[in-house]
Amino acid sequence: MYTDRLLIIFILGTYLLSPVIIEWWSDGGQAWFRPFLVWLFLIGLSYWIARSRDFDGF
Amino acid sequence: MGFSFYQLFAIAVGYLLFLFLVAWITDRGYLPARLVRHPVVYVLSLGVFCSAWAIYGSVGYAHQYGYNYVAYFLGISGAFLLAPILLAPILRLTTTYQLGSLADLFAFRFRSRAAGALTTLIMLASMLPLLSLQIKAVAESMEVLSGAPEPMNIAAWFCGLITLFAILFGARHATAREKHEGLVVAIATESLIKLLAFGAVALIGLFDVFDGPAGLSAWLEQHPEMLARLYFPLQDGTWHSLVLAFFVSAVVMPHMFYMAFTENLNPRALITASWGLPLLLLGMAICVPIILWAALHEQVATPADYFTLGLSHNFGGNGAVLAYIAGLAGASGMLIVATLALSAMCLHHFVLPLRRPQPGEDLYQWLLWARRILIGVILALAYVFYAWTGHRHTLTELGVLSFVATLQFVPGLVGTLFWPMANRFGLFAGLMVGFTIWMLTLVIPTITPGWQFTPLLELLDIRFADPASIWHTIALFSVGANGVVFVLVSLFTPTSPAEQGAAEACAVDSLRRPYRWELEANDVDDFIQSLGDPLGAVTAQREVDLALRDLNLSRSETRPYALRRLRDQLETNLSGLLGPSVAHQMVDDHLPYKPQGEEETSEDIQFIESRLEQYRNRLSGLAAELDSLRRFHRQTLLELPMGVVSLGQDGEIIGWNLAMETLTGISGRRMVGSRLANLPQPWRALFLEFAMGDISRIPQQQIQVDGESRWLSLHKSVIHGSLDGERDAGQVIVVEDITDLRALESRLAHNERLASIGRLAAGVAHEIGNPVTAIACLTQNLAHGSDEELNQNADQILAQTRRISRIVESLVTFSHSGGHSPSEEVPVAVHDVADEAIALLRLDPDRKQQAFDNGIATGIEVRGDPQRLLQVFVNLLTNASDATDNSDPICLQASTDSDVVTITVEDRGHGIRRELQDTLFEPFVTSKPPGKGTGLGLALVYSIIEDHHGSIQVDSPIVHDRGTRFTLKLPRYRQSTQVQS
Repeated sequence: MYTDRLLIIFILGTYLLSPVIIEWWSDGGQAWFRPFLVWLFLIGLSYWIARSRDFDGF
Repeated sequence: MGFSFYQLFAIAVGYLLFLFLVAWITDRGYLPARLVRHPVVYVLSLGVFCSAWAIYGSVGYAHQYGYNYVAYFLGISGAFLLAPILLAPILRLTTTYQLGSLADLFAFRFRSRAAGALTTLIMLASMLPLLSLQIKAVAESMEVLSGAPEPMNIAAWFCGLITLFAILFGARHATAREKHEGLVVAIATESLIKLLAFGAVALIGLFDVFDGPAGLSAWLEQHPEMLARLYFPLQDGTWHSLVLAFFVSAVVMPHMFYMAFTENLNPRALITASWGLPLLLLGMAICVPIILWAALHEQVATPADYFTLGLSHNFGGNGAVLAYIAGLAGASGMLIVATLALSAMCLHHFVLPLRRPQPGEDLYQWLLWARRILIGVILALAYVFYAWTGHRHTLTELGVLSFVATLQFVPGLVGTLFWPMANRFGLFAGLMVGFTIWMLTLVIPTITPGWQFTPLLELLDIRFADPASIWHTIALFSVGANGVVFVLVSLFTPTSPAEQGAAEACAVDSLRRPYRWELEANDVDDFIQSLGDPLGAVTAQREVDLALRDLNLSRSETRPYALRRLRDQLETNLSGLLGPSVAHQMVDDHLPYKPQGEEETSEDIQFIESRLEQYRNRLSGLAAELDSLRRFHRQTLLELPMGVVSLGQDGEIIGWNLAMETLTGISGRRMVGSRLANLPQPWRALFLEFAMGDISRIPQQQIQVDGESRWLSLHKSVIHGSLDGERDAGQVIVVEDITDLRALESRLAHNERLASIGRLAAGVAHEIGNPVTAIACLTQNLAHGSDEELNQNADQILAQTRRISRIVESLVTFSHSGGHSPSEEVPVAVHDVADEAIALLRLDPDRKQQAFDNGIATGIEVRGDPQRLLQVFVNLLTNASDATDNSDPICLQASTDSDVVTITVEDRGHGIRRELQDTLFEPFVTSKPPGKGTGLGLALVYSIIEDHHGSIQVDSPIVHDRGTRFTLKLPRYRQSTQVQS
């Protein structure tokens, strides 16, 4: 039961990495759809986690 | 541009009628429940987030602020990607305590009516700009498509239709526990329409304008400034504020809270939404740049906010209708759901604390009508705001006003979930600070052009500027100030015990440890009577019955534990009906606890255990290991072969294991949570006396249970240290049923006594036998003399010596009978042995001619010594014959089962006195007159039967106070048994 810590680490990590992410995004040039691919990857990851774990909390 | 207002209004009415139809079909049950509760429907219903701003404003925002528009879609996607961690605890809370809004959540968490009212007030103020944005979007989209200014009353009519829909399909049930399935399906349908229509416009742009993706790439290569305009604003620093604002909107926006939590038809669908909603939003977001570029390519004449409409209109009327309907869907869905959410908040936190229906009124109807009126009032307010000032501002300005305001709830929300030390004073202070900054720096300057709150702008080193361009700085500053004040005030002000309890209930990963207080109410009828005052008798009865059904309890329940659970459930159910503040107050006032000192309370162990059982699957790591250990110990205690009763300090029964269930015949489910005084007799007297007494052990205690004598051994021990480690937690009583042990001891003692008597008898027989033989011989000589008188005396002496010899002979037989196994174990035909015994008795000339009825079937065989068994029958039949003074026959019967032969010898004689029956098989015990019996016959029978591993039992009287029945049980002879032995 360390979800709160996990959440804090995730949010902090995302915040700290955001300048790098935005710089990478800005350098996309013609590949304007780059962020959408990352987004799609995250959705796939979330789908995989949702399928592989049984959330019996409900 | 080719459409008249009336055509457009007719399309809007037609679209809303279609929504009515969808909702009506669902509510009537024409759609299968499986479809209605399908996770995809839930995911689509969450698409209510995509309001008219997503359809129109996002393109304009992308035009002005580039890729920052993605934050609108990505922020909330992030919240849902973290749904199992972030949103699931809130869903659990709202479901468990029936909390219908953020104001309900705060009122519950901070145990404050004012917290709920303040949250509702700020939420209402925050949402007015966003609601007016929707009205504006619909009105302006009509303007764009018709090419003429919109008459104000069109927007008013639109609001009227929305009000009607919200009342008809969103306010059908008074309580939050009953969901509005029609509404959910209608909103999901709207999302599907939005997605398809918006996607269709993007496809028009991609294929009709650019001739496909390759054409788009080629155009972008030719116009690199288009991409630069998209990328450049990412560097301006607003990204973080935007993502944060839309990240938290999943919870703080009332329409999102309402669809995600309040109207959730299937909790597990939240897991599907963790990837489903981001996918839906990705589909919407990727359309935005394509529509923007296509509109710029086509040099669409409309303002950037309405590029979606302008682009589709350029390519024919049908495309424009598609975009118009998408905008309608976005605006109507958001207006309907947000209004419903706000009306519930206003009802619970403004109306009900001030006025409640009288006890005689129909509470449910009263609540429904109050809510319907509030829906109308809120939509009227939104329209007034639009007419007053909203129509003068851009969609982005209005949206920003709302999103920054709702950010003010973030500190309170984080405190609710993660910080149990947060208190109501901190929440009030933080909200007031954040709200004031919002009003002074964004709202007033927006609606009063040219006015600025200079001191704050100087503090932030911001020059005079358009509020829309400095909003991100203000957003971060206001939320930061709100959060700091919230923390500081919470740290330096006291927190009430009720608030602490609620904080533990709300905190993620925290297990609430409620205390056991005794209620004033003693049974369910007391509950109904007490709640009848505020609710009216009928409503009170209905609510109590509903709570009992929820808990699966009966009306006859009197256990303190069950009554406490009933109180909690009633508070929860009333919370869904009246809001948490009013429900809490009502339950506190009308179902109070008895006044108790701090030292008299103890933790509600069984409630903690039941919660742990519910949370079991959510435990991991060390917590899961500890829980496994707890379960092991609990199971050990439960299945201990000795009865265990655990008592709380207040005498409430906490544990009642399986052995206790077997021993008493009373189930643990019935007793746990009850008190010893609720036990039936004789257990009540036994346990109460023992639990209250000073002695800690009763080695042997006899009680009568259902007419049978039971022997128990009782021990008790104090349980040192409660969960808080300060006081004794109660006591544990261990009960052992020693009835069998007592019987065994009794049999052993009996056998020992028989053996002693046997040894004594052998000695006595030996010592007496020899002199008696000598006397008999000498008397024999005397008897043959000439003196007649002497001869007669000698005969009498001889008769007496014969009697002594018979007694001595009996003693010798008895002394040789016990303590050894049958010398020869062969099959013995019971019928034949009984016949032989009857024949022997008939040979005795001194005996009366008794009738015998040998009903024992031939072929029944027992295992044993035939001679000794013959003796058993002779003794039993002799006794029966002696006892019988009429012509009734003595009956012998036998029956068999797989291992045992049961033989009965029954007479209709005078019977055996009850006081004699307990010692009947003791030596020298007889019911015969003095001189008639030695009292050794039945003792001998008992010994022989014991030696044959059998048993003997006597019943007397058997019919009309007469008769005796001896029942013998002997091992059945079977060929296989014999072979094995």
